[in-house]
Amino acid sequence: MTFLSTHLDNGLTVIGEHTPESESMACGYFVKTGSRDETLEVLGVSHFLEHMMFKGTSRRSAEDVNREFDELGAQYNAFTSEESTVYFGRVLPEFQASLLDLLTDMMRPSLRVEDFDTEKNVILEEIARYDDMPAFDAQTLAREATFGSHPLGHRVLGTKQSITDMKRDDMQAYFARRYSPGNMVLAFSGAFDWDAALAQVTDATQAWERYDVTRDITPPKLATERRVVTNEKLARVHLIWLAAAPSTQDESRYAAHVASSVVGDDVGSRIYWELVDPGIVDDASLYYAEEDHAGVFGTYASCSPENVGEVVERMERLLDKAATDGAHDAEVSRAKQKIASGEVLSSETPMGRLVPLGMAWTYRGEYIGMDEAVDRVLGVTVDEVSEVMRGLSSRSHSLLALGPIDSIA
Amino acid sequence: MSEPEVYQHELDNGLTLVAERRPQVRAAAFSLMMRAGPVTAPEGQEGISKVLAEMCYRGAGGYDSRGLSEALDGLGLQRGGGAAGEMASFGGALLADNLGKALDLHADIVQRPALPESELEPVVALALQDLEALEDAPARKMFVHLRGAYYSNAYGRSALGKAEALQGLTTGALREDHARRYLPGGAILSVAGRFEWGWLKDAVEKAFGAWSGSGPDAPDPQYRTDPHYDHIDQETAQEHIGLTYASIPPTHPGRYAARMAIGVLSGGMSARLFTEIREKRALVYSVSASPSEVRGHGTIMCYAGTTPERSQETLDVLIHELRRLGEGVETSELERARVGLLSSLVMQGESTGARARAITSDFFYLGRVRSLREIREGVEGVTPKDIVDHLAEHPAENFTVTSLGPRRLKVPA
Repeated sequence: MTFLSTHLDNGLTVIGEHTPESESMACGYFVKTGSRDETLEVLGVSHFLEHMMFKGTSRRSAEDVNREFDELGAQYNAFTSEESTVYFGRVLPEFQASLLDLLTDMMRPSLRVEDFDTEKNVILEEIARYDDMPAFDAQTLAREATFGSHPLGHRVLGTKQSITDMKRDDMQAYFARRYSPGNMVLAFSGAFDWDAALAQVTDATQAWERYDVTRDITPPKLATERRVVTNEKLARVHLIWLAAAPSTQDESRYAAHVASSVVGDDVGSRIYWELVDPGIVDDASLYYAEEDHAGVFGTYASCSPENVGEVVERMERLLDKAATDGAHDAEVSRAKQKIASGEVLSSETPMGRLVPLGMAWTYRGEYIGMDEAVDRVLGVTVDEVSEVMRGLSSRSHSLLALGPIDSIA
Repeated sequence: MSEPEVYQHELDNGLTLVAERRPQVRAAAFSLMMRAGPVTAPEGQEGISKVLAEMCYRGAGGYDSRGLSEALDGLGLQRGGGAAGEMASFGGALLADNLGKALDLHADIVQRPALPESELEPVVALALQDLEALEDAPARKMFVHLRGAYYSNAYGRSALGKAEALQGLTTGALREDHARRYLPGGAILSVAGRFEWGWLKDAVEKAFGAWSGSGPDAPDPQYRTDPHYDHIDQETAQEHIGLTYASIPPTHPGRYAARMAIGVLSGGMSARLFTEIREKRALVYSVSASPSEVRGHGTIMCYAGTTPERSQETLDVLIHELRRLGEGVETSELERARVGLLSSLVMQGESTGARARAITSDFFYLGRVRSLREIREGVEGVTPKDIVDHLAEHPAENFTVTSLGPRRLKVPA
C-alpha cells in the first residue's frame, strides 16, 4: 500500500492510496460544501446542485453522462451532507481514463434551465419520499431545533418551498462561490495508475480558475430543550436526543466512536440491553457524527405511544449513568474489537477506502492507512472513553419526539 | 479475472459446506442456512421463524443471553442473517483468525439453543413492535401486501408474522419447531475469505458432524396467473406502487437472457425505467425492477414511489416500458447491460460478504456453485434475439399490482 499526494497549480489537491493487488479502482471528487454553506433563501441548493452535476456539460448531454457511466460498467453515485458533496465511481482499472474524464468534465456543468426545471420535480419527489420515513424526518426536525440559527441545522434537502422558489441563476451563483479547485480534493484508491491520472487531470483542469472559499466554523451552541411534534398519522413515536460531541479535528474522536459503540451499538450495547433486549422499543441506538469543528451524539428510539414515558425515563437514566460512572474494561475492549473488524471489512473494496481517505484529507489534511486506523482504535483507553462519556448526561441533550402524542408523559 | 478456489463437502448428515478461498484477504464471512424460514412454518404460527431465530441468540453453549452476545462481540463478528422466505440463516463476517471460534459458537446456537422461558415474552414483544413499526414504513408495508397478493400459499407470508399468532407462541411450540426444522438435511454452510481448506473441513465436521435429521420440504410455490390490483388507502406523502409478474425459475437455461433484459430495463442510470420515468418525466425519485427468486419460480418485482398527482402517469409509463421491452432491444443497450454485469462480477470478488452470499445463493437455487468463467460465458453469449425470444415466451403480463397511498389507480389493460 502506497500513499501519494500532490497539489496542482490551480489549487486542486490530488491524493491516492494505491493497492496494486486490487481488481478495481475508485476515484472521487470531494467538495467541501454542503447545507451549512447555504443561506436560507437557497436551502437545499448543494444537494439540488449535486443532481444537476449529472445533467451535462459543454461536451455532454445528461443522457451522455448516464450512458457513459454505464458503458464503463461503473458503480457510481454522489451524496450531499451538511458539509460535503462527493461524486465517485468505481471501475475495472482499464477504464480509469474514461471514468476520470467523465467525472472531471462533470465538475464544470452547464446547469441548463430546462434540465433544472425538470430535475426540480425529482428533488420534490425525494423530499416527499423522506416525508414517509419518520425516523429520518425526526432527525431533520431535531437538528433544526437543536442547532437553532447555526447553519449545521440546515436541511440538506431543503424544503418544498425553498426548492420550488429556487432559480437556476441562484444555483449558478452558489456553484461559482463553492466549487473552486482549492475547495476540492480528488482522491483515488485501489489499482490506479497515478502518473497517468495526474497527467490527465492536470491537463483537464488547467482552465479551472482558483479563488478563495471560506466557511463559517463558529462552533454551534446546542439547545437542550424538549419538543413534541404531533403527527396523528404515525403509529409509533420516534425519539431523537442530540448532544455536542468531539469534532472531526479532535483527537478524542476515536474515543468517541468507542463510547458510542459501548453505549449505543445496534446489538450488545448498554442501550440494547436496557431497551431492545427486554422488548420495550423495536429499535434504539446511539451514533456519533464527527463534523467540521463540531460533532454530535444522536440517540434514537422508536416505541409505542403508551411507552414513551418509560422509554424516555430509562434512556435518560442510562445516559446520566454513562456520564457519571464512565466505562468498564470489558465493554471497551469488546467495542474496540467490533470497530476494528468493521474497519477491516469495510476496507476490503477500493470504494470502502475512498470515502474515509477523501474525508480525512479534506477535513484534517492527513492520511491514515487502514492498519493505523485500527491501531488508533485499539489504542483508546478506558479513561479516554469515560472522559468522552461525560458529555452524555441527559442535561446536555435536546429531545425531540415525533408521533401521535401531545406530550411526553 | 482470476478464478478463486472453490471447495465443496457434504457431511453424512446432509449439511453441505461450500467455500471460496481468497488467501489474500484478512476477513472471512460465513452463513449457515437451514430450511426453516416462514415458508415451512407451521400453519397458525406465522412469525415463529423469526422469533425462533432471535431466541437462539438468547442463550446457548452454557452462555446466557448476555454472555453469548458478549462472546460474539468479543470475536468482532458483524452479525448477519435472519429468517425470511424459505430459509433461516445465521452468520456474519469477521477477521479470519476468529472464524473457528465463531463456527463453534454457532454450532451451539443452532443445534442446542437454551430457549429459556424468561426470554420469550421480550422476544415476542419485540416482534409485535416490529409489526406495528410496519405502519410507519409505507414502502415496506406495500411490499408485504404485494407478496401476499401474488403468492397464494406459504410463499406469500411475511416474515413479521401476525399479531395473534405471535401472542399465542409458547416455548413448547418453539422447542417443537426447533426439533422439526433446525436440522442439517439440505442445510448449507457457506464460507468465503481466508482459510485453509483441510482445517475448515475438519472444524466443520467436528462442530456439526454429530447433528442429524432432515426438516420438512418446502411446498411448491403457488401464485396468481391472472391480473390483480389492490389499493391500500393511507395518508402518505407518496404513493408507493409495487408490481410483480411471473418470470422464469432460477434453473431455467434462459436465466442469463432474463438477467440482461432486466439490465436493459433497470441496470444503471441509462437504463429504460430510470431514463423514461425519472430523467425525462421527473415522476419519481426511485424506480426499479429486479428479479426475485424462490426455488422453482421467479418473478420480476418493480417499485415506483411518486406523489399522488403523478401516480397514475407513473404506473402507465412503467407498464408501457415493461411491454415495450418485448419489442426488442438495441445492441448498445445490451452491451451496457453486459459490461455492467461483468464488471460487478469482478468487483463482487473484492468483498468476502458478497462472495459468501453469491455462493450460498448459487448452491441453494442451482445445487452447485458456478465458476466465474461459466457466468462470464453465460453473460457474453446473450444476443438481442435471445432477449426478444425470452420475452416472447415470458411476456410482461398478468400483473399483480399494489398501491399504498391516498389515491386508487387504474391498471392499464
